[in-house]
Amino acid sequence: MKRFHDGFREIFGSQLVSIIGGLIAGTLLAVYTNKILLIPGMLILLPGFLEMRGNISGSFASRLSSGLFLKVINPNKIKTKLIKDNLMASFLLAVIISFVLGLIAFTFNYFIIGSFTPKIIFIPLIAGIIANAIEIPLTLFTTIYLFKKGHDPNNIMGPFIMSTGDITSIVSLLIVLVII
Amino acid sequence: MKIPRQHLEMLRKIKREKYHPLIHKLHKKHKISKKTLFYIKEYGPHTNIFKTIIKESIKILLLASILSSFGGFALESIKNLFIVIMPLIILLPTLNGMIGSYGSIISSRFSTMLYEDKIKKNLWKNKELENLFFEIFGISILTTVIGIILSFIISFFFDYKLSLLIIGKIFLVIILDVVIIVNILFFISVFAGLYFYKKKEDPNNFLIPITTSIADFGNMIILAILVILFF
Repeated sequence: MKRFHDGFREIFGSQLVSIIGGLIAGTLLAVYTNKILLIPGMLILLPGFLEMRGNISGSFASRLSSGLFLKVINPNKIKTKLIKDNLMASFLLAVIISFVLGLIAFTFNYFIIGSFTPKIIFIPLIAGIIANAIEIPLTLFTTIYLFKKGHDPNNIMGPFIMSTGDITSIVSLLIVLVII
Repeated sequence: MKIPRQHLEMLRKIKREKYHPLIHKLHKKHKISKKTLFYIKEYGPHTNIFKTIIKESIKILLLASILSSFGGFALESIKNLFIVIMPLIILLPTLNGMIGSYGSIISSRFSTMLYEDKIKKNLWKNKELENLFFEIFGISILTTVIGIILSFIISFFFDYKLSLLIIGKIFLVIILDVVIIVNILFFISVFAGLYFYKKKEDPNNFLIPITTSIADFGNMIILAILVILFF
């Protein structure tokens, strides 16, 4: 029974953090509905775009944590090939996935709605670059900081990435919409 | 302890995708954890880390994106109805993240139960499984209710007119969505987990991608259907 309560408390705590991040992102989405959601195809790419941050940065944080625990990564020395390659690979993955999401939304708009909207390819692509330029280094420094402070990053980084990722994604989409 | 460097170098040269008996031997003889050995094989010196990460991640990420986009199609098709209900827009990122997390929690906890030999023949009378179900079910309902109430408060501050009927409908739609999807995730985790375990595969490697993808895809499809039915 005690184990049941412990599990309940741990999951509930981490979920509350994610909920707050998600609600902030959702509020931004609701306030700027006219700018974001009224663009044809935006709801097609939005779930994948929000999820991408967790998938890419989550795996990145997990790889870093494993390296830190196995002492392959030195928390005081981050300019190593292992970290640089991890950073670059995560960034490239984010760019590729953002482009694919844009392409799927463009194809849907063209074949189903019948509208030619090349902008929908560039919106997630540029927003993906902006969001990941913030999120990936943030993941790196937070994981190392938590490890140095004696915490297990695996327990904290999941909800942290979920909540910050949702917010940076929506903000970067808004920035791109203002630019375009 | 003297590190058997020549053995680690041999290990590093073995093709990544091949499981080699050397891993087991090094683990047994030198008491080096399998995780360390795996990490050396995967990301050791002179390996192309960049290429390894891209090659291993791209397929599953593309699949996840395509599945999410299919879920997005469902929402896009009811866009005009969906975007006028402010609390639903506010809840969209929360719901997606939350249900995906429950998918991975159910999968990883059930996989561990299988390894700990806690799953016996009669699934319906298994106390551990029952506890897991009620724990996840309870948390999902509780967090969903908190999310819904907060979305109402936020909507209220933005002058969104909330009638009792709308409040009731939103509660019903979101709670039903979460209840249906959590049950589906549980069902899939248990039966797919047992299937992979019987095939001598690690259920962790299959269940988490399967359940998180189904959670994203299924959540939006079910949500779209419920919005059409109730609004």
